[in-house]
Amino acid sequence: MVTIQAIKLSTSPDMAPSNPSGDVRNADLELVGRIRSGDASAFEAVYRQHATRLYNLASRMMGAHGEADDLLQDIFLLAYRKLGSFRGESSLGTWLYRLAMNHCLDVLRNRQTRMGQQTDSLDEPDAPPVASPVPLVGAVSRIDLERAIEALPPACRAAFLLHDVEGFGHQEVGTMLGISEGTSKSQVHKARMRIRYYLAHGVKKES
Amino acid sequence: MKCADLQSDVLVDLVDGRLDATHQRDVERHLEACAECRALVIDLRTIRAAAFMLDRREPAAATWLRLQSAMATEPRPKGRLLWMPTRANLPVWLGAAAALILATVIGVLPLLNRNVTSTEDPAAAATINEPTVDSVAAEFAKAEEHYQKAIDDLQTIANKDTGELDPQVAAVLQKNLTVIDQAISESRAALKTQPSSTNAQDGLFDALRTKVALLQQTVELINEMRKGNQAEAGRRAQTLSQ
Repeated sequence: MVTIQAIKLSTSPDMAPSNPSGDVRNADLELVGRIRSGDASAFEAVYRQHATRLYNLASRMMGAHGEADDLLQDIFLLAYRKLGSFRGESSLGTWLYRLAMNHCLDVLRNRQTRMGQQTDSLDEPDAPPVASPVPLVGAVSRIDLERAIEALPPACRAAFLLHDVEGFGHQEVGTMLGISEGTSKSQVHKARMRIRYYLAHGVKKES
Repeated sequence: MKCADLQSDVLVDLVDGRLDATHQRDVERHLEACAECRALVIDLRTIRAAAFMLDRREPAAATWLRLQSAMATEPRPKGRLLWMPTRANLPVWLGAAAALILATVIGVLPLLNRNVTSTEDPAAAATINEPTVDSVAAEFAKAEEHYQKAIDDLQTIANKDTGELDPQVAAVLQKNLTVIDQAISESRAALKTQPSSTNAQDGLFDALRTKVALLQQTVELINEMRKGNQAEAGRRAQTLSQ
């Protein structure tokens, strides 16, 4: 079982770089340099570039319980505080996503602790559904899909959101989540299979 | 290939459009003969396409203002960067990022394996070995339907987000689509007068394939723009404009 601790993300500088291209790296380093030198517009540029995607990611990670705007503010404030640890080994986007996912997982863990549940059961709240014998017919309802995503265990929800919703490759997802590319694939597959099951049979509400 | 060979790593690569050509052909042959696996793959692709098309919500405008106030009380971040910006770096994007959903929609096309037989399912193999006029027509219709489905899915995504494109790129894209649509219409007209003409069939498939590829490139470009990869988006826009 992959526990939530296993996908606790590192923002330490020794993690694997995500091979940002020269242009991306230059732009990131220039922005970070300006922020460190006190240019207020530089952090706003980072916010404008990443806020919408991080907002979508965070709100879907937290599901209906999340207060996404507060969460987004917390993520960027955290990023501002930790910007000193950004050394340009990965792209700024990768670093931000990693930090955001880490924060979401912390919030989820705290929520479950408050509810008296075991933290490492976050990844597998119930028995994994097997392949659905009922094929889906036609288009998938957006509401049903959102509900199914919300019902996913956090580890595969994170991988699914980054890969299938946000369009990152498995290598990038692996870097962002601190897992291998292979584990990213397996989490995304698990998420798709669970969603298929939920769409065919409905999401079982946990009390 | 058997159902058991479609393990999670194969399925995920198949749905992501990242199987190598040989492996992909093997899987397609299996999918032709196995309705259960075919249904599974179609479902997984549908889920992936639907996920990519989920609404993009915008944060409240006040969030930035609140963040600004909160940051005002924070000390300025310090630290040391490993590299300094340099213009000598080549603009190469290695991010394997373009996880392009719909790149894979065309993967299931069983259509073009017209001369391929599967040895796993004798009944299916016999059917393929002994084509009739009706079976060939039905297979052709099914193939065209698959392409049309791929085009419709891609078109939905592209239409939804083409507003994000540079007007010049959007204009070139529209022009190219018009030319391809014309080719599709002409091929369909030729096929109507000569239903059994292989050339006419191939002409239609070529045009449909071209349209899928163009729409696919458009979705890739939109994906890079969404990710904020300006350099890669620029490169793809240039390719698209050509």
